[in-house]
Amino acid sequence: MTVGSEVKGCYASVKNIEATLQILKNKTQNVESQQAFQDAQQIISEVKESLNQQIIHLTREEPQY
Amino acid sequence: MPEFPEWIEVILRSLVLMVVLFTITKILGSKQLSQMNVFEYITGVVLGGIVAINTFDPNSSIIYAIIAMVIWFSIPYVVQKITLKSKAFRNFMEGKSTVFIQDGKIMEDNLKKQGYSTDDLLEKLRERDVFLAADVEFAVLEPDGTLNVLPKRENRPLTAKDLGLKLAPQKEPQTIIMDGKVLYESLANLNLNLTWLETELEKLNVSIENVFLGQADTDGQLYVDLYDDTIAVPTPNEKPLLLATMKKCQADLELFALSTENPQSKTLYKTNSKKLKVAIDKIEKYLK
Repeated sequence: MTVGSEVKGCYASVKNIEATLQILKNKTQNVESQQAFQDAQQIISEVKESLNQQIIHLTREEPQY
Repeated sequence: MPEFPEWIEVILRSLVLMVVLFTITKILGSKQLSQMNVFEYITGVVLGGIVAINTFDPNSSIIYAIIAMVIWFSIPYVVQKITLKSKAFRNFMEGKSTVFIQDGKIMEDNLKKQGYSTDDLLEKLRERDVFLAADVEFAVLEPDGTLNVLPKRENRPLTAKDLGLKLAPQKEPQTIIMDGKVLYESLANLNLNLTWLETELEKLNVSIENVFLGQADTDGQLYVDLYDDTIAVPTPNEKPLLLATMKKCQADLELFALSTENPQSKTLYKTNSKKLKVAIDKIEKYLK
């Protein structure tokens, strides 16, 4: 497996995490845990963005190998 | 009432007095037998006695019985109301609690006052799983005769607070399916609806008629017990799965950071791995 596809796999997992956090945030009744899930979701979405950029960068470079 | 045959009268009396007695006990409140003080206990016995005698004795007057019952009901009722209002009266009626052990020292005078021997005290302590009197910080004899014991700090069970653990708050779960029927009120208490329940059951691959008992917690996780015990039901694993995925992603990013040679990508993977770590720390306690 190339680095690119590995990073893509990780990116997919991060997207999965973000979605699950969203579900949990909406399901829970507790304000405190809602807030925690919200914060975590924000961090994860930053990670997702930056990984996305990295994937674009990698796909540009990959054909060289 | 001479026009009735006596056996009919017994039946009528039984029914009337039963209704009166049940109403009275209902109004007087439903304290457990063990929680009753002497006064309430006597009232109960006398009321029962009056009813017992009058049901099968046709010669006694039912009017007299009812008068007696009203008196035996109203005085305890008034007393009960006053006890709620006045602390002094309550102490008189229900007795006060007596301190037996304070600051780890046994109060001999209080023991004597209550008529407790050393053996009695030790027995009461043993009932509370305390076999060494020196383990007790504070012990108090309640008016109803139970001894409540506060062990010394080092002998108390370990709590999350002692360990400095932070735990997510947890509210009471709601029972939403009973005997295959949905309880809409408790479902609404969790802000959930029937569609959600149907989806969750479909995920578990069970029909609602087959559910004996279904409960959901405030995080919207459904736990079910089926009539058919041969079917295995998966327990909710959304949260542990999420935690595992997050940890895996974090580890993956660390690995990428180590394997790449491009310094720019290295820092990118490292910062993201750190961010994920922060997110994990933030929600780990809610996922357990």
